[in-house]
Amino acid sequence: MREITLSQAVNEALAEEMRRDETVFIIGEDVAEAGTPFKVLSGLVEEFGTGRVVDTPISEPGFMGIAVGAAMTGSRPVVDLMFGDFIYLIMDQLCNQAAKTHYMSGGKLNVPLVLRTNLGATRRSAAQHSQSLHALVAHIPGLKVALPSSAYEAKGLMKTAIRDDNPVVIFEDKLMYNDKAPVPEDEFLIPFGEANIKREGSDITLIGTSSMVQVCEAAADILAKEKIAAEVIDPRTVVPLDEAALLKSARKTSRVIVVDEGHQSFGITGEIASRINEKAFYHLDAPVLRMGAMDVPVPFSPALEDITVPTPEAVAENARKLMSGEMIHAA
Amino acid sequence: MPHEVIMPALGMAQDTGLIVSWFKSPGDAVKSGDALFEVETDKATMEVEAPADGYLTDVQADAGAEVPVGNVIALISDSAEDSANMTNAAPADAKSAPSAEPLAQETALPAGAEVIMPALGMVQDTGLIVAWHKSPGDAVASADILFEVETDKSTMEVEAGHDGFVAALLAEAGEEAPVGDVIAIISAGKPDAPVQRSIADMASQKAAARQPAQDGGAKIAPADTAPAKVATPKAAPAAKPRADGRILASPKVRRLALERGLDLNRLVEAGHPQPYHAADIEVLKSLPTVPAASEAAAQSRRLTADLPSDGFAAFAAWAADTAGLEDAPALLAGLAGGSLRRDHATIAVESFGQTRTFAVPAGPLSAITPADEGTTTDLTLRDLRLSQISSVALGAEDTPVLTLTRAGDGLSITLECASHHLTAREATSLLYEFAGRIEHPLRHLL
Repeated sequence: MREITLSQAVNEALAEEMRRDETVFIIGEDVAEAGTPFKVLSGLVEEFGTGRVVDTPISEPGFMGIAVGAAMTGSRPVVDLMFGDFIYLIMDQLCNQAAKTHYMSGGKLNVPLVLRTNLGATRRSAAQHSQSLHALVAHIPGLKVALPSSAYEAKGLMKTAIRDDNPVVIFEDKLMYNDKAPVPEDEFLIPFGEANIKREGSDITLIGTSSMVQVCEAAADILAKEKIAAEVIDPRTVVPLDEAALLKSARKTSRVIVVDEGHQSFGITGEIASRINEKAFYHLDAPVLRMGAMDVPVPFSPALEDITVPTPEAVAENARKLMSGEMIHAA
Repeated sequence: MPHEVIMPALGMAQDTGLIVSWFKSPGDAVKSGDALFEVETDKATMEVEAPADGYLTDVQADAGAEVPVGNVIALISDSAEDSANMTNAAPADAKSAPSAEPLAQETALPAGAEVIMPALGMVQDTGLIVAWHKSPGDAVASADILFEVETDKSTMEVEAGHDGFVAALLAEAGEEAPVGDVIAIISAGKPDAPVQRSIADMASQKAAARQPAQDGGAKIAPADTAPAKVATPKAAPAAKPRADGRILASPKVRRLALERGLDLNRLVEAGHPQPYHAADIEVLKSLPTVPAASEAAAQSRRLTADLPSDGFAAFAAWAADTAGLEDAPALLAGLAGGSLRRDHATIAVESFGQTRTFAVPAGPLSAITPADEGTTTDLTLRDLRLSQISSVALGAEDTPVLTLTRAGDGLSITLECASHHLTAREATSLLYEFAGRIEHPLRHLL
């Protein structure tokens, strides 16, 4: 199968959906000629014109509000938010309007809107351009949250998101834009709420999201050399969450580590760990561990920044502790 | 001095560029600004202009070649002839060993304050030097504009930041320098031999001359952080039962123990270290099923009967003489079996370390036979009359035990058993019956 970058995969997904459905349009800062700072959208304005690839002034609340209104009145906007950190600027448009319009209108209005943005640290972009804020969005009923872990997921989830009649937020990891993965030439969609078992194993389950899937796979490689068979699962969407697949694996291996790049406290890892505790408690042979980013503003210093994010070595070390029966948080 | 033509970075995230075609041939005269070749990246196709007037020479990459960004692919020379030392001056492959000449230049860099390419944008990897406002050897003040830099967002003038003289310019106008790289050196005194060169020179020897400060952008190798975590001392497992009596065990092992009717307390009593996990179920299953002594002691029974005289010795002599029953242990087994008041009983008689087991039917003493091997013993009779032992309290054993000891001219009989062997009433009845038979053996015959 051919291999393409995550950037190309997103670009293809958008182009295919814009050709298929003329109500789909892109709006945001630097999306047209600039093709975004990460060059993800390059070439789209040439094919679809500035009427469907709309450059806006620097005004996130403004263009997000425009997009919500357009979605309510028959369009399918794909909003480009240059950095995930800017989501704070559009919280009202996203969480009070887009998420609730269907409910508040008694089902008369839909908001088929996709918000494309990013997450991920270790790009030396400092505390205000390095955050992973997907947990904020996942907390709000009415919003779906997709976290592609490779070019394949990026394309399949994007196409599904555009066809969804509800608001969907897709967070791409900004360090993965140049990472290549096999992506079929033929059209395909990835349904929401369907986890992907990246690797089967019987001893411990590593649940990873976004780029942490790769961290979990690298940890599984390390553990395999020590005869520890780790199962790696990528939920792909956290809302909706494929709880059944996660619980099935937890019951099988009895040990689980959840790895996500959002801050560890009050985040995605806590939510998933909690569901496993509630619903697979009597199958657990060890506490479910969370591994998120440190609860600090992302440092600009490269040496400091790198230790705030889970690494394969750190995941493997925690897995060893769970396997050995060591008490990690002894009373 | 020839100008180098390098593969430009056209995108933020671009590693290589594909040369689609050359617009000029080797030896052609070119003017600054002429389109030299067309390059394609994964994002765009673009024409690259000649950086200076001269002749195109030393072309290192043909159309169709994919060249790493920053590599020198040709020279703009003063004559149409290829220079002989192209491979030394500007290797086409940045990974090839640096030549002696640039190394010499590197070591010859003048001392002074370093000026680096500043980061002007959030997602900026390199900056394009539009123009130098000072030349090598020029005097500069800190606030003087040293150069002009362009990113994809803006163009900006950068101040020297130090007073002194321009001792070295390490990049040429038109070149892109990575953010954080040293591009100029300002010395305190007037330099004897100011240096001017291009980035391509530096690129060719980065491996040898790179400074630690320039490595700031590299991710710390994960291996660097791992040992600290590996070295974390492991918590010593709790070897003894906790003072509060709680058992540290996983939800899974608790469920498994419950499903299998196993008691985790027995792991605690066996001294097996906590916390318990599913694997410890195997240990629990392998523990012997005999209850621990302390538990048995609490639930055992012990009764004693004292007889003023031993009637059995006379009885045994009488039985041997009149009935031909010469096996005294069998007679004891018969008396004991009769005391149980069962149709059939298997009685073990221990005497002087020897154990014989008898099948005792209800009825005459002559019907007693050795028991079949493997038959479960109902009662053990331990005959210690000929020993010095006067009293026993051995605790419950596998079967109820009747122990005969000497007490002056008479006998002492002790019954010990676990509570589940005999009820209190059964135990009392057994000892009463047996003591009566030993005192008056003929009563058994009645």
